[in-house]
Amino acid sequence: MPRTATLSFDRGTLILHPPPKGKAWVEFVMWDDRIEKFRLPASQYRQFLEAVRAEGTQVIDKAAQFSELALTVTDSREPFAHQREALEKWKQAGRRGVVVLPTGAGKTYLAQLAMRDTPRSTLIVVPTLDLMHQWYAQLEANFQGSSVGLLGGGSKDDTAILVATYDSAAIYAERLGNRYGLLIFDECHHLPADFKRSIAEYSIAPYRLGLSATPERADGKDADLDTLIGPRIYSKRPEDLAGGALAKHDIIQIKVDLSEDERTRYDACIAKRNAFLKDKKISLGTLKGWQYFVAQSARSSAGREAMLAHREARALAFGTQSKLRVLVDLLHKHAADRVLIFTDSNDTVYTISETLLIPAITHQTKVKERHETLTFFREGIYPRLVTSKVLNEGVDVPDANVAIVLSGTSTTREYVQRLGRILRKREGKLALLYEVVASGTSEERVSERRRGKTSSASSKASSTSQHVKTANDDAGEKQGSLDLTPIAETDAISFEDL
Amino acid sequence: MLPSDLLMRRIQGDEIVPKRLKHSEANLATATDVIEVFEAQLGETKGTLEAALQVLEGNDTDYRTKRGFAHILTNSFSEFEVKSPLEPADLRQKVFAASAKQIPSEANSNKVLAQVASDLSQETQTHVTPDMVRAGLYADLQDNHVLTRFDAPNANTLIDRYNLSQAQGVLYRASHIIITAYRNDPGEYKQLFRFLKLFGLMAYIEGDADHGFTITIDGPASLFKASTRYGTDLAKFLPALLQVSRWSMDATLVPPNNLYGPMPDEVHYRLDAECGLVSHYKPGTTYDSAVEEAFASRWAKTKTDWRLEREVDLLPIPGSVMVPDFRLVHPEHEKTYLLEIVGYWRPKYLQKKFAQVRKADRDDLILAVSERLNLEAAGVKLDDVPAKIIWFKGKVNPQDVLAAVA
Repeated sequence: MPRTATLSFDRGTLILHPPPKGKAWVEFVMWDDRIEKFRLPASQYRQFLEAVRAEGTQVIDKAAQFSELALTVTDSREPFAHQREALEKWKQAGRRGVVVLPTGAGKTYLAQLAMRDTPRSTLIVVPTLDLMHQWYAQLEANFQGSSVGLLGGGSKDDTAILVATYDSAAIYAERLGNRYGLLIFDECHHLPADFKRSIAEYSIAPYRLGLSATPERADGKDADLDTLIGPRIYSKRPEDLAGGALAKHDIIQIKVDLSEDERTRYDACIAKRNAFLKDKKISLGTLKGWQYFVAQSARSSAGREAMLAHREARALAFGTQSKLRVLVDLLHKHAADRVLIFTDSNDTVYTISETLLIPAITHQTKVKERHETLTFFREGIYPRLVTSKVLNEGVDVPDANVAIVLSGTSTTREYVQRLGRILRKREGKLALLYEVVASGTSEERVSERRRGKTSSASSKASSTSQHVKTANDDAGEKQGSLDLTPIAETDAISFEDL
Repeated sequence: MLPSDLLMRRIQGDEIVPKRLKHSEANLATATDVIEVFEAQLGETKGTLEAALQVLEGNDTDYRTKRGFAHILTNSFSEFEVKSPLEPADLRQKVFAASAKQIPSEANSNKVLAQVASDLSQETQTHVTPDMVRAGLYADLQDNHVLTRFDAPNANTLIDRYNLSQAQGVLYRASHIIITAYRNDPGEYKQLFRFLKLFGLMAYIEGDADHGFTITIDGPASLFKASTRYGTDLAKFLPALLQVSRWSMDATLVPPNNLYGPMPDEVHYRLDAECGLVSHYKPGTTYDSAVEEAFASRWAKTKTDWRLEREVDLLPIPGSVMVPDFRLVHPEHEKTYLLEIVGYWRPKYLQKKFAQVRKADRDDLILAVSERLNLEAAGVKLDDVPAKIIWFKGKVNPQDVLAAVA
């Protein structure tokens, strides 16, 4: 009596042995000489089983180790129209697909509705530790009695609901692959990267939900989301969700001059670098030019010196003492506000934290302390917080109403998302964004690129040397206030409020 | 192993050649310089250590070599600790809670620090200064960790380790490697396959003990598409390969994206037993057990033309491999025999061993089984075992084995 065909999971793949009857299985498998059995990619699990079962072939499934969840939902609030529609579309698409919603349109709540309607063990993958903790706090509050765990940021839990970073989930992809029935990818544009995509490829999860405000990738790999998660099934732009109270958001750019010493040093560094570039006929305007510069810097002592000079100039422009003076002025002016301070450089974060005794969060901050610090900030115990890049993506800080960007590099996504965070505000409050830039440095051009201005503006900027010693509105160069898209009321009701 | 940005390699034809440092005066001097910086920085913070290393780097274009040395010394020869009399996270909470009530300024910061210092002095009954509070605030940051132990290697060892790391780095981009193991005695394959299993790799084995073996190594999902997913595992595997006596390796690589010049579609990295790379893995013990060792030495004293070879044959079994302890070769007989000594008592081991023997299905296998083992209790039945079985008490007698091959 021949044994019945059995499907089993092996480190991110499936083994089918012995071969079943019927013929639907044939197109899914490959013969593996190493084990003398048939193997198929784990991600084919659902299609394979659907196909063999459709023709009535018997296959015993020993691969799936995911469990049913008894989710007790504490939150019974009515979803918004777009959340309801998105959920409906996702279910119609067989519970596979990508939903595009602007930052702050309640993606997390949508995901929780999907979990409630698909009660299987769930792996949630997020790009940052902050998002990890945000999800964690919300799931704990909303699915009381369920065991929610973390993978990454120093935690290595083993729970039916698991929130993991992309990096950790990718490292453990072979082990996680058959334990979760539902995969949720937050900021899912991260997934198609070489190493991270294995989270989807090595998983048998039949149900998959991707969430993003900005699914496009510069390398075009966002097309892969179709196979890794599912087709884009619902998409709303910020404009589509307009309505409700229009919030007003001002962007105030403040230019500061370098101190005389810093200016001299900056000019010397730039001159040294430029001499080398000119000598080697390198233009830094293109990525290729930049790569060539990096390559040259490893080949000659002059190149190395030019690179060091370039770095020093950058550090001078980004972390200048004058900026700290402006920061103190701004903090004085907004003494009663909840202020978030951003800067790209970790060193600057710690300089600010140590000098002004403001709590800091960077990628080095431990998981538990990060959570605690953010909680204190939300509760107002800490009125100010200084962070580096770690808080970039969609982190919910509903009470911040003033943001100060103390230098930054350009990518549109970063800029939009930083703004988005500040926009998550309580009714009636004016959200303010300050951008503090050193004048006459390359940083100024970065800032303009970020605003989508043409480069011709830079000549104007360098000739207008604004000496800003205080941060009064009339002293700073006030840019036209931007009417950014209002974020739907969903944000006003954050899960943390429950 | 080194991070990608410290890897140095060039392309030559279809081959990647990693940086290889000679044990020259100059290189030994550089290695010694870096080692001495670590020795001098014992007790200092990681930040200070890195600053000192940066001074040593200077404007040198070979800064990546020095940085590579430093990376290896940091990760494999050093220990760092958080040194702080006050738990930094608690200290931060105290300080930030106090400063939250103030408008931020340097003057107010000094007031807060003084206040916290005086509170702590009272609480702990020690003298805590504001500067100590400021310094302790982030004592747990990587940069502020203190180098508490450094086991200085000698300069030659460091260069060996560096060269090995560069070679391993090439394999980060490997989709699979093919090893050709020539006629080897001893083969020392057991250790190789132990590491293979440890790193989650898979092997496909072809060949025989007389002509050598071709072993293709990759991972489970390699079947569907070439990927670098198992590259770091293959890199970790390399030092284990270096312990085998005669071999050559051909690694197929996905071209790295930071090389200059025209790039072939497929690039290779080739190595052999003469490559001069030095493994830092602890060599496997020559014999798995005292029983095997005793048997080999008794065999040496036995008068017979049958020659005993150790770990030379590989019996591929779907999903695994069996490496019999010995092989018996006679100059006048074509027929050879394989001898496996079964003396370990754990039921799991016994079950696996006998399942392997069944799957291997060889007619030239001799099992020497200890009479002390309770096979029945382990659930092992001997009815359908396709091997000659000889029983032994304590020691395996060469005459019993000779009787079995006669």
